[in-house]
Amino acid sequence: MDHSTSSSRRASGDDLGVQGPDKTIVAPLPPSALTDIKNNVQLIERAVSTLEPRFTHRVLRSLTTLRKRLDATVLKDALEAAYPKDSPTRAALAAYLPTAAEGVGMDVDASSGLTSPEVDTYFCLLFILYLIDNKSLGNAIEIAHQTAEKIHTWNRRTLDSLASKIYFYLSRAHEIQGDASGIRPLLLAAQRTASLRQDDDSQAVLINLLLSNYLSYSLYSQADKLVSKTTFPTSAGNPQLARYLYYLGRIRAVQLSYTDAHTHLQQAIRRAPNAKLAPGFFQTVHKLFIVVELLMGDIPDRGLFRHPVLRKALVPYLRIVQAVRTGDLSQFQSALSSHVVQFTQDQTYKLILRLRHNVIKTGVRSLSLAYSLISLRDICVKLHLDSEEDAEYIVGKAVRDGVIEARVDHANGWMLSHVHRPEGAEGIYATSEPREVFTKRIGFCLDLHNESVKAMRYPLNAHRKELANAEAAREREKELAKEIVDGDLDDDGDGPGMSDF
Amino acid sequence: MAPRVQTSAAGVLALLSDPDPQLQQYALAQLNALVPQFWAEISESVTAIETLYENEALPKNARGLAALVASKVYYYLAEYDEALSFALGAGTSFEQERLNPGAEEYVETVVSKAIDRYIQVRATEESGKSQGKIDPRLVNIIEGIFKKCLEDGEYKQALGIALESARLDIITRIFDLTKDTEILSYVMEAVLDTGFTLSFRNKVLHHILPLFPPLTARAPHIHSLTRLHVTLSLPSITIPILVSLVDGGLQGKREQFAISYQIAFDLVEGGTQDFLEAVRSGLPQHSTVETSEVPAANPSASRVYDRLRSILGGETSIHLFSDFLERNNHADQLILKDTKEALDSRSSIFHSALTFANAFMHAGTNSDEFLRNNLDWLGRASNWSKFTATAALGVIHKGNIRNGTALLQPYLPQPDGASTAGSSPYSEGGALYALGLIHASRGREVLGQLRATLRDVPGEIVQHGAALGVGIAGMASQDKDAYDDLKQALYTDSAIAGEAAGYSMGLVMLGSGSAEVIDEMLQYAHETHHEKIIRGLAVGIAFICYGTQEQANATIDRLLSEKDPILRYGGIYTLALAYAGTSDNAAVEKLLHIAVSDTSDDVRRAAVTSLAFLLFKNPSQVPRMVQLLSESYNPHVRCGATLALGISCAGTGSQDAIDLLEPMIKDPVDFVRQGAFISLAMILVQQSDVSPSLSPTRALFAKIIADKHEDPMARFGAALAQGFLDAGGRNVTISLQSRAGSKSMSAIVGMTLFAQFWYWYPLAHCASLAFAPTVIVGVTEELKTPTFTFVSDARPSLFAYPSPMKPPAEKAVEKVATAILSTTAKAKAREKTKEKEKAAAESDSMETDKPAARVSEDVEMKEDGPTAPTTGAESSTEDTTVSLSMSASAAKREREKKLIEPTFEILQNFSRVTPSQLAHIAFPPENRFQPVRAVASHSTTARNASGNSRGHTKKADRHAGGGGILVLVDTKPEEGEPQWVLALADSAAAAASASASTAAGLDGPAPIGANATADNGIMVEPPAPFEYPFGDDV
Repeated sequence: MDHSTSSSRRASGDDLGVQGPDKTIVAPLPPSALTDIKNNVQLIERAVSTLEPRFTHRVLRSLTTLRKRLDATVLKDALEAAYPKDSPTRAALAAYLPTAAEGVGMDVDASSGLTSPEVDTYFCLLFILYLIDNKSLGNAIEIAHQTAEKIHTWNRRTLDSLASKIYFYLSRAHEIQGDASGIRPLLLAAQRTASLRQDDDSQAVLINLLLSNYLSYSLYSQADKLVSKTTFPTSAGNPQLARYLYYLGRIRAVQLSYTDAHTHLQQAIRRAPNAKLAPGFFQTVHKLFIVVELLMGDIPDRGLFRHPVLRKALVPYLRIVQAVRTGDLSQFQSALSSHVVQFTQDQTYKLILRLRHNVIKTGVRSLSLAYSLISLRDICVKLHLDSEEDAEYIVGKAVRDGVIEARVDHANGWMLSHVHRPEGAEGIYATSEPREVFTKRIGFCLDLHNESVKAMRYPLNAHRKELANAEAAREREKELAKEIVDGDLDDDGDGPGMSDF
Repeated sequence: MAPRVQTSAAGVLALLSDPDPQLQQYALAQLNALVPQFWAEISESVTAIETLYENEALPKNARGLAALVASKVYYYLAEYDEALSFALGAGTSFEQERLNPGAEEYVETVVSKAIDRYIQVRATEESGKSQGKIDPRLVNIIEGIFKKCLEDGEYKQALGIALESARLDIITRIFDLTKDTEILSYVMEAVLDTGFTLSFRNKVLHHILPLFPPLTARAPHIHSLTRLHVTLSLPSITIPILVSLVDGGLQGKREQFAISYQIAFDLVEGGTQDFLEAVRSGLPQHSTVETSEVPAANPSASRVYDRLRSILGGETSIHLFSDFLERNNHADQLILKDTKEALDSRSSIFHSALTFANAFMHAGTNSDEFLRNNLDWLGRASNWSKFTATAALGVIHKGNIRNGTALLQPYLPQPDGASTAGSSPYSEGGALYALGLIHASRGREVLGQLRATLRDVPGEIVQHGAALGVGIAGMASQDKDAYDDLKQALYTDSAIAGEAAGYSMGLVMLGSGSAEVIDEMLQYAHETHHEKIIRGLAVGIAFICYGTQEQANATIDRLLSEKDPILRYGGIYTLALAYAGTSDNAAVEKLLHIAVSDTSDDVRRAAVTSLAFLLFKNPSQVPRMVQLLSESYNPHVRCGATLALGISCAGTGSQDAIDLLEPMIKDPVDFVRQGAFISLAMILVQQSDVSPSLSPTRALFAKIIADKHEDPMARFGAALAQGFLDAGGRNVTISLQSRAGSKSMSAIVGMTLFAQFWYWYPLAHCASLAFAPTVIVGVTEELKTPTFTFVSDARPSLFAYPSPMKPPAEKAVEKVATAILSTTAKAKAREKTKEKEKAAAESDSMETDKPAARVSEDVEMKEDGPTAPTTGAESSTEDTTVSLSMSASAAKREREKKLIEPTFEILQNFSRVTPSQLAHIAFPPENRFQPVRAVASHSTTARNASGNSRGHTKKADRHAGGGGILVLVDTKPEEGEPQWVLALADSAAAAASASASTAAGLDGPAPIGANATADNGIMVEPPAPFEYPFGDDV
């Protein structure tokens, strides 16, 4: 069982519900899928008996790799291995398998009587995944609802992380089916229960599910109220936090508070799993991030668009950025119209529409830098504006907003620019600002370091080994003392060094 | 398709601000249903809803609805206090909400909040700081909960809430409803064993006491009632119940006598000296005239009262127990002999170690065989080791009240001041200490003598012994005069006498909590410069605060904030003793904090050790708690952890504790190893050979003691551990809990004093105060012991005595030769016993090996035996001949056992019954003699279903309670005079013959041959004519 961090990231990336590599292709069955399940069942049982959530987390990390290898045979065999023949859970779950699937004559372990609710839940989870992958959404939803109900009645803390997965795929199945709005009350109730039981795992997942649910129906104000009235559990894992930050960014962007949105999205990118492992989330966040950055009046780094994961996905956005950078309204319009479908799908279309104004402003600025004096008519032509009057208003607003240092000469119908050089040769470096920023960054790095140190774990009972070593050393010392005493008796007096005592 | 999903509550919310009340009410009704979905949105208008609630113009139910909606919103916002307030205001709407299927969690949360709030309010009301009346709406909810609990039969839940909220009337109500004494027992245990304040505890106990129905034979609540009386310690309550029982008996219900005796015996187990004395003197004195009117068949009232008085005096119990210990002594002389040979007697630490080992092994058995056999060794004691050696006599003869004084007379300082030939102040002091130990907690007879010595005989060593004697004999007597005498000794400002006086002042005033005394002692502790005196006083203060719980908080805080680490050390023990056995969370927390934060190692060690005193009622908690501490870098903390495990898990054989101690056996620091050995022994006391840890541990101790390169401290610890392992001739367990389940005062004090052996070895003797004989003794109404049998419903090997040690035949000089010899012999033996072994095929290899080895020695010895030389120097061969018979019989038994291991065992009167065995004890109903109360307070066997069945999983790991002295009821008096095991009155004369005859009749292991044969002559007239040569080297 070497589900190292890489697989964990893959798993968490997958959690983000974005289109990764195609999962429906069932790879030629590696022989270990069944053993993996068996091992996982053992791990879960260990987690239950030792009350250590670590083991459950390890099992869940392997979920994605396992998911690709699930098929009816594996599930059937695993069921038979884990449950006795007359177990009702086994019968109930086996009913969901296509009857054609025949076991390959696996010798059935005489399993240990009762299984824990945790193991039951794990099997349900595997079945839900299998059914989702096999487009059997109705059945998947059915199992998911049953399991969620059972989890509610069991009320066990060892179930928490498994429960959060169940909720996630429950919602995912509904989302695929397109009736996600119907499960909102269920999610709300579950969220309430989770917070009553201080079940942080489920709480984090459920808040995210609710937010995504609201946002996909454009219920921004509901989402905002939910955010303001709940606290996201601090102990939630990075993937969930990244999702939460992304949703938060989206809400803020819609609410025009771009700075907030920018910070949230930036953090979401930082918290996000590795780009290669969760490309979908990475791309989605970056799309929004670029738009927000443009809305703030900044131009995103060109390097971003060369990132191997992002390059293809961001092509439409690159065109928008280019248009904004040059302030070319016509280019902007053509980019917008040619990629409108893509933007709508990304749910960024409405935000990009807000950019039009930015394009114009950028255009005005470049004009003001290039010309010390330019007639409004020429501005009109260059920026493809409708009329001189429009140009006059736009320039006036730009002056008032501090975008350009200029003056409009209404009588002559031209714009006079005051060319303004940055102060001093050192510019901003003369101020204390760089130092402050630098200190802030150092602080961030130190915090990060401290947090990583805190997150490290000593291997359990490693000190016992040291103890054995200490014991051995003491034995040797004793031997030595014995020898010295014995030797003392034997060659009494012939050691000149000894007589010095 | 599904109806269109509503996406906002804004529309409904807008209606709230409509001036039309109709619309507002409609909006509220809508909102009530919408809250679960749109609580986030609604919460922004919660003020509007609150105003509606306060709006007088609205009808009542609409306002209730508003309150309900507001309450729900606050509930979703996790503002549960607010949610409760509004729920209270909602009235009937809230009641209706209970029936709503989706709202269970909401209702549950609010109700649990209501309970919390109610408990809190009641607590402030109880403490007299109430601010007005309790909200009647809150009371309504609580009453509803009580009513529901009673209807559903959830009595324990109701009781829990009632106790926490101090609603004693509920207890009465439940009891009236059920008439089940289990309810009362449950309440009592809850109050005693969980963290309630002392004053409340007493209030509850006083409340439930009159509720108990009158006692009848085998009534399930007799244990609880006894514990109640012991805890309250009020003669004014106890005397009437005894009197009423006797009156009942006089009116013909004879078994009432038996019950009164039984209660008296049980009171003696747990009661303090002054309480028993008060009850004793408070019993009515009947004139003889009255008795003549009573029918002859009934014993007269005066005789009954006389008997009660004699039981309450404690002598009867002490005699019975000491009789048991003397008779069943299974101490293994070979172990002591090996230890003696391994430890150099010229070194005083090793001399003391062996003294302790011997004293513990023979504690209470009156067997001084080892001392007699090793007079030259004894003579080598000097100075304080002589003090210790003399004091050991007190441990060995513990409970021998009749002969104790006479026995020690030769060593006691003579009243005329003239010292007898060969006496030294050390032996005199030791003898005084021994006198105290013999009369521990029952010191009426000797207190005067000890005090006189303390006053009149100068010399700090003698005074040291006398002071300790006064303290231990006069424990908890609250004797002001004795206290004053001790104070005088303290004011001499002699380090040695002053230390003992400090301890003893505390012991005499044990549990009084007297502020005056504490002030006095603390003041002197500040004045003196002697560390020893300060320590004595500090621990003395701890004794004074014993069991006073929160009343001692001021003293504890004062001591813990002292600059002097010794006084802080005392503060730790004050905390431990004040809250002993309560498992009080705050106290545990404090100790754990100090254990890792104090600057003094001594204080930290004491803090860890003291955990044991707090938690001994739940020993399973301790290993978990000290696990990290046991891995501390600080050796003192580790050492404290060992003792914490040992003292709390003593006698349980807890595998968790043993696993933790395992690495500390190999600790690099000597005193940690010492502690680990001692603790291991305490835990394994009275385990049978079935326990996997026992024989390796024994071997380990022997190896450590024999290893010359081992640190002296560790060897000392191992020797002490050997003593503990076989304590009291393998017939006692170490327990801080008395049989009735209450904390055993003298045991706790004894262990506290034992823990001071770190500074002062002679105090280690006090561990013997924690030794509790594990026996079932049946006595009739005449206080005689008939022969009778009862059944132990378990495999005998589970609870058998461990087999005695193998004779050290192979340890001869020619190692090679013996090695060959033993293996060939073994092989031979194996052939011989092959057929027998076959029968035992299912038992594991370890066990099959043992009898084979023993048989081999057996065979070997039979050939050698007759030619054995008789000189003293060759004592090893002498021992082998002695052990020959032992091993032969053992092997025979072993073989029989192998053939068919029975699933039960029939035991006789005066048999050892270990605490864990008690659960399997049963009295067959067809027997003539039946005990008047159930044997164990927590019986688990189905057969004992008539006894009470308070199934407490909490207590599963500690089988306290039951056993001890049982008063029997003769169900078939027509069968005539039963056979008596031993008449107490003439026990001294008949002891030898009786023990021989009854021992032969016992089904259990035969007595050690050495005891029965060699010592017979001595045992007839044990004490006076013999003097130990303590005074040789004055």
